[in-house]
Amino acid sequence: MFRHTTFRYLVLAILGAGALFQAFSAGYFGLEVLIEILILAILVLALDMVAGFGGMVSLCHGALMGLGAYAYAMLSSIVGLPPLAALVGAMAIVGALAWIIGAICARSHGIYFIMATLAFGQMAYSYIFQTPIFGGDDGMGGITRPDLSAIGIDLNDSRSFALFCLAGLVLAYLAAVAVLRSGLGRSLCGIHHSEERMRALGLTVWRVKADIFGLSGLITGFAGALAAMHVMYISPGLLDWTVSGEALVVVILGGLGTLVGPLVGAVAFVILKHELSAVTPYWHLVVGVVLIVVVLSRANGIFGWLEARIGARRIFPTHAAVKKVPNDA
Amino acid sequence: MLETRNLSKSFGPIHVTRDVSIRLERGERRVILGPNGAGKTTLFNLLAGVLQADSGQVLLAGKDITALPVARRARRGISRSYQKNTLFDGLSVRENLGLAAAVQAGQARRLFHDSLSHPKVRETVEEVAHLARLEQVLDARVNEVSYGIRRQLEVGVALATRPQVLLMDEPTSGVGPEMAAGFHDLLSGLPRDLTLLIIEHDMDLAFEVADKITVLNYGEVVFEGLPEAARGSDLLKEIYLGSWENA
Ligand SMILES: Nc1ncnc2c1ncn2[C@@H]1O[C@H](COP(=O)(O)OP(=O)(O)OP(=O)(O)O)[C@@H](O)[C@H]1O
Ligand SMILES: [Mg+2]
Repeated sequence: MFRHTTFRYLVLAILGAGALFQAFSAGYFGLEVLIEILILAILVLALDMVAGFGGMVSLCHGALMGLGAYAYAMLSSIVGLPPLAALVGAMAIVGALAWIIGAICARSHGIYFIMATLAFGQMAYSYIFQTPIFGGDDGMGGITRPDLSAIGIDLNDSRSFALFCLAGLVLAYLAAVAVLRSGLGRSLCGIHHSEERMRALGLTVWRVKADIFGLSGLITGFAGALAAMHVMYISPGLLDWTVSGEALVVVILGGLGTLVGPLVGAVAFVILKHELSAVTPYWHLVVGVVLIVVVLSRANGIFGWLEARIGARRIFPTHAAVKKVPNDA
Repeated sequence: MLETRNLSKSFGPIHVTRDVSIRLERGERRVILGPNGAGKTTLFNLLAGVLQADSGQVLLAGKDITALPVARRARRGISRSYQKNTLFDGLSVRENLGLAAAVQAGQARRLFHDSLSHPKVRETVEEVAHLARLEQVLDARVNEVSYGIRRQLEVGVALATRPQVLLMDEPTSGVGPEMAAGFHDLLSGLPRDLTLLIIEHDMDLAFEVADKITVLNYGEVVFEGLPEAARGSDLLKEIYLGSWENA
């Protein structure tokens, strides 16, 4: 179950203020970085829903996001739907695919679940790569952004597009919170704790898992469509499994099962990447070291660590709500 | 209400359940006794569907449910509490009960609606809290309450599915004598039409609550009868010597 605490609201407020400040003050490059963070944040939010709250560690979310990008490009450029309709369509397609993947993988656990999702991701990759209409290795270009000129917004302007993505992230966050706090989210939490117990209470466990996976896919498809709008050109590399791996790194870096943590992780990851890649081609090594330190410290990511240190102070009394104390044997 | 016919199960060469045929009437309170490793928990697993029997049948309200998976059996009205707590740690007592009640009320997959605030779920939670004596601690977190309360909650969660048959695996295991006595009150407060099958090591409690007693030894039913008859049985004294003396 997801809970907001004073500390979490505080971190959200800081992140929001930072994003707004950046959106209004940054130049072209700064805005590009911001947009990259925002889209990654939506992806890792979706991944945290399944991995953090449901224990379903997915290695296909990168591919799902890529499918969202391709679906958007397809629907808008080839089918000729208006961009906003294509956006909704892309979300629906990815959501439905994710539901099916979730339903099929629901019976496997741990490493087998990871491998099954990886296999689905690879299948999506080769499908996109091999199908001529998607342009194969060359990808697809000429992707348009929604036309919001009716309300005086030009999304081809980087600043406006960054704000559009920020609004999207806020919506995705609110949707994720609403899902996790609903009956479905509660059941997911029960399943994460003990699938067997929930089954003995009469719950059809795979349906809950599939539903959550589908909803997560919906949000992932949204991130994919935004990614397509952002770069306006897409290639199969978007569906590479390393994208899923990177998303998982970001979730773990930020803090599994906290929603807020992955947002922090996305900010940290993208900034680290840009700062480091400017000075060394070995930036992946540094990210690797940071990840190892975070994992070995046994804190739940950067945010989890902060929450355990600062959040536990008396000024944040509601923090007790997220503290875990081991139960009896 | 609940019946088994020649139920058998072995793990490799070990026959853990042998030809067990028992029959519980609706509302009956049956206590299962038997030494450690007699196959009591295994029998529960066979009844709940966690394990598949090698042979024999399980019937609920006259219908053969042998082939049904765990969740479907649960929805037909079989619920269980476990020998070791299976509670949801980070959650409050209310939320623990709510998780179970939501499944029964069809709210477990509701979207954009908190199952816990659904009237049917709330009603069940209140009712079960009363039955399992958890009213005072409803909003306490599971890891903040005493072990005895957790044992009560273990039963409460099972009750919150509004079962027809409740299987309780050593509800008093690990609790002190006064808590065990409290369980007697708890058990006698349960609805009269609820069928109870209880594995119990506490003899006093067993004889007090049981309508009938079944004794398992090496996976076999070696005694079935009224508590008074059980008390006098020489066979039982033999099997149960250790714990008998303590009772
Ligand atoms: N899944 C399993 N695989 C193999 N052997 C098992 C399995 N489950 C139980 N057993 C064995 O079956 C026998 C009966 O176990 P069971 O748990 O049913 O006993 P019990 O009567 O509940 O004992 P206790 O009073 O200690 O709880 C034991 O010897 C146990 O080791
Ligand atoms: Mg046992």
